[in-house]
Amino acid sequence: MRASRRPIGETTWAVLACQLGLVVVVLGAWQLASGRLVKPLWISRPTDIFAQLWEWVAEGSLWPHLVTTLTEMLIGFVIGSALGIVAGLVLGVLPAVATILNPLLTGLYAMPKVALAPLFILLFGIDLASKVALVAVTVFFLVFLNTMSGIREVDQDLADSLRLMGATGGEVFRKVMVPSAAIWVFNGLRISVRYALTAAVYGEIIASNQGVGFLVSYSKNALDTAGTFAALTVLALLGLAFTLLVARAETSSLKWKI
Amino acid sequence: MAEPAIVLRDVTQVFPGRGAAREVIALEGVSLAVAAQEFVALVGPSGCGKSTVLNLVAGLWPPTRGEVRCTGRPVTGVNTRVGYMTQKDTLLPWRTTLANVGIALELKTRRATGWDRDRISRYIELVGLEGFEHHYPSQLSGGMRRRVALARTLIYEPETLLMDEPFGALDAQLKLVMQAELLRIWGETRNTVVFVTHDLGEAIALADRVVIFTGRPGQVKAVQPVDLPRPRDVFSIRFTPRYAELYEKLWGLLQTEVTKGESL
Repeated sequence: MRASRRPIGETTWAVLACQLGLVVVVLGAWQLASGRLVKPLWISRPTDIFAQLWEWVAEGSLWPHLVTTLTEMLIGFVIGSALGIVAGLVLGVLPAVATILNPLLTGLYAMPKVALAPLFILLFGIDLASKVALVAVTVFFLVFLNTMSGIREVDQDLADSLRLMGATGGEVFRKVMVPSAAIWVFNGLRISVRYALTAAVYGEIIASNQGVGFLVSYSKNALDTAGTFAALTVLALLGLAFTLLVARAETSSLKWKI
Repeated sequence: MAEPAIVLRDVTQVFPGRGAAREVIALEGVSLAVAAQEFVALVGPSGCGKSTVLNLVAGLWPPTRGEVRCTGRPVTGVNTRVGYMTQKDTLLPWRTTLANVGIALELKTRRATGWDRDRISRYIELVGLEGFEHHYPSQLSGGMRRRVALARTLIYEPETLLMDEPFGALDAQLKLVMQAELLRIWGETRNTVVFVTHDLGEAIALADRVVIFTGRPGQVKAVQPVDLPRPRDVFSIRFTPRYAELYEKLWGLLQTEVTKGESL
């Protein structure tokens, strides 16, 4: 039997202490540099940033922004990934169609999706819909291409072995193609989460009146450096939370991969 | 007299060349009959078309010329009357031992649930894998994975078993263990077996008849009945004089083919 792999960075108390120490040193240096070496207007200072964060949390003014960004992400993610999986499965089993569409799809995929933000704002307005569209398009392509590769990469010997046991085309699709593509689909979803956050926030920065991205751009426009950094901190934490969530979902759903 | 379980009549298989690759004549005028409940081993140099014979019987594609029949009917499409254990691992990596063995029943009964748990357990026991029901293939050793594949092939009780170097990738000791298991199980089930191997010793120890193939294009060079008594002990049979005699005779036939292939 194969021994399960040891995680690369096992968190021991010593590691934790080092990490904590590093944070203290960096924040301390930042705090000392601000006002002495660099103008606070440029880099603010940690205490001000935490004060701002605390104020947002205590007042409750952060929540509507957070909820807006998460809603855009969630709706866009669901729409984009559902369409991506379906399109990937269909084109995966219809390679002829995929070949015809290939130049178009590659072109659209290669285009930076955030460049669509102005167009979507023009089409869908500055509210939720334009950001949802941007997230959906971004997620769609990642999930779609991964799903299609997954179907293409299916081991034909596995499919043949099932056919010999009397499997119909539909059964081969359900019992071999789909589970075998699942790992690719999952990979697409995993990558998409990060891009979904990027797309939502970027859309908000371009034009909006709510959302964490709006908070960044609003604070910047008000020359509120502490507010800008505070909003960025929220985004960093949000990104981290999603990364952890995806990692957990992956280990529980793909047990067989070890 | 009943028709033999498997019949190949003057079968030729040509694989067309593609681009710079020349066309390959894998089999040329091969005729072969395997009786019901007989254990036949096909031996020959690599690339002599032994596996092609199995693929034709399994109906994965039609022969270029000639006829292939299985249990009284011509093979015209994927032949679901055979159990095919390939050289390569074809276990589904996302299924546990239980579910991998169960898939054969699942496909037969066309129901995802309510498979015959007792029957699956019986076959898992038959190949000696009790306690590993809930392991995924990646958690099993090479020998255990072969056992799962064997159980999966046996569970739907095919009249005919096709085995393509099933133990080729195993180490020498494990191979002996698996051979003994196979003979024990075959003693109970008595399927018709066509067993492809490049190991002459394995062929003699297991089979009722050994068919020697020439190098490419594959033709039947000789057919040798193995008159060693059953039940056989694959460990000790190698030290009997009759085994040595057969080995020497067949090796003489095989050697010229193998060296011919090497000098090409």
